[in-house]
Amino acid sequence: MKFVRKLQQSIENHTDHNALCINNIFYTYKDFANEISKIRKAISNTIENKEKLIGLVTNDDIQTYATIIALWFEGKAYVPINPSTPVERNIKILELTEAKYIIDSSKESDYKDYVVIKSLVLEHTRINLKPKQVSEDQIAYILFTSGTTGQPKGVPITFSNVEALVDAVDAEPEFNLLPTDRCLQMFELTFDFSVVTYLFPFLSASCVYTIPKGAIKYFYIFKLIKEQKLTVLTMVPSIINYLRPYFPEINAPDVRYCSFGGGALHSDIANEWSNCLPNCKIFNYYGPTEFTVYSGFYPYHKETHKKSHNGIISIGTPQKDTLYLIVDEGNNKVPVGVTGELCLGGPQVTPGYWKNKERNAQSFFTRKEHTIEQRYYKTGDLCFKDKEGDYQYVGRADFQVKIRGYRVELAEIEFHAKHTSDKKANMVALDIINSLGNAELGLAIESEEFDTKEIFEYMKTKMPDYMIPMHVRFIKEFPHSMNGKIDRKKLRTYFDIKTNR
Amino acid sequence: MSKDEILSKVKEAFVSVLEHDNFQLTDETTANDVDGWESVTHMMIISEVEKIFNIKFKLMDLMNMNNVGDLVKTIESEL
Repeated sequence: MKFVRKLQQSIENHTDHNALCINNIFYTYKDFANEISKIRKAISNTIENKEKLIGLVTNDDIQTYATIIALWFEGKAYVPINPSTPVERNIKILELTEAKYIIDSSKESDYKDYVVIKSLVLEHTRINLKPKQVSEDQIAYILFTSGTTGQPKGVPITFSNVEALVDAVDAEPEFNLLPTDRCLQMFELTFDFSVVTYLFPFLSASCVYTIPKGAIKYFYIFKLIKEQKLTVLTMVPSIINYLRPYFPEINAPDVRYCSFGGGALHSDIANEWSNCLPNCKIFNYYGPTEFTVYSGFYPYHKETHKKSHNGIISIGTPQKDTLYLIVDEGNNKVPVGVTGELCLGGPQVTPGYWKNKERNAQSFFTRKEHTIEQRYYKTGDLCFKDKEGDYQYVGRADFQVKIRGYRVELAEIEFHAKHTSDKKANMVALDIINSLGNAELGLAIESEEFDTKEIFEYMKTKMPDYMIPMHVRFIKEFPHSMNGKIDRKKLRTYFDIKTNR
Repeated sequence: MSKDEILSKVKEAFVSVLEHDNFQLTDETTANDVDGWESVTHMMIISEVEKIFNIKFKLMDLMNMNNVGDLVKTIESEL
């Protein structure tokens, strides 16, 4: 794989450069090479060759990042599990992938029933960064997203998927990272957006700045911009919603690139934010986990490129080798200007959900393009293509919502909320937009008031914190629409949540 | 305003945002000690505090605020 060899060269040729800044401590590419080599040795000493999927506890430290690279050099995949997610959910993920080995930099590992490589206490060894051969269809990572049946849904991404992503981003002349760049990495490694925020800096020998767990993210980001003079920002739009009241205090002339993704970017805030970054190019990226992070972008500029629809910035055009297709409910292509479901084709598309035939039959289809059978992934996002060829996001086709950039199936929350309740009350999870423009989760319960402590305690053992509803309302009778469905729009009006400013 | 008065008003802000009062606030209290106090609710709490005390924090103050004690100190300096 070209990108894996490029990683090797980038590390070898920049040993005196900083690779990571974690909690105010800098690590050079030499430190990184040492950690990678130690972990590689432990992998080859401990893990059988045929075991390809390895659990990785995603702490905020150099060992965790080194493990990803070490696994790739060894031709293996990482299955990230977040230490702040309920252990039960993480074990479910390990069971689904049949991973037997875990690499964990925690002092005490929670995973007693697995073979754990403790990456914090490995012995020094000589540097070895020569990658092993991998075949194209080998998996590089598997991420799990929220699923409707209460079971997380696995998205495997192959080495050739990642290769195609790197190839497409490299082909973009507007975006070129340099060894002098200082790049923000604000994402949990269980979130696919993180792949671009560590991979591209490492490929260019830039320095990656992480956010310590438990820090108030948007303030810490501002601190890094101000004190460390970051040059490259990659963010979800909700972050700047929080900083918005303070925009007049932010002036960051060092920032060269700011990429958004993982949620709709609104034109009013994009305009205000770009005033804080006087020397910056802004990219509005689009792309689902199933398509290896990015599928294309719109180059926003407050004067020259501000195309939007209902206040949401355009997602632009597909990147190199990617095909966009907008279809109706029968998977037929619709004309320019007509809204339909956006489907993605090309070398970045996942081979399919992990062991989930039923779901794969729904989410993927093939279509003859010229003479080739092209495979498409159905994103669930409603879009249209305009006359100039730019694509425009309109909304979701289902009950999936974005909470802080994470995809959440409302049905999964309802599934777990109803589980312990013996009251058999009807429950509906809703996304409610707060006054900052960010989505928060609400749980509407069709009942007289009762104590929900048990329900919440159960949910917290099943789902990560961003999936736990923050607001509860009891409603004696749910409002219904004309055709008898629960009127979610009206239900939302019961959530008079704390507004500010 | 005494420190206790400030602290009790700060607690009001927490309760109104978090929709529960299942916590104690001391100088050393951090987000880890209070259920529901995290990145998202933090901003709501901050703006509720601003409303109650009729003050406006600077981003520079907020970025170095690590516990309730820091919050109370900043409020005192603004009053």
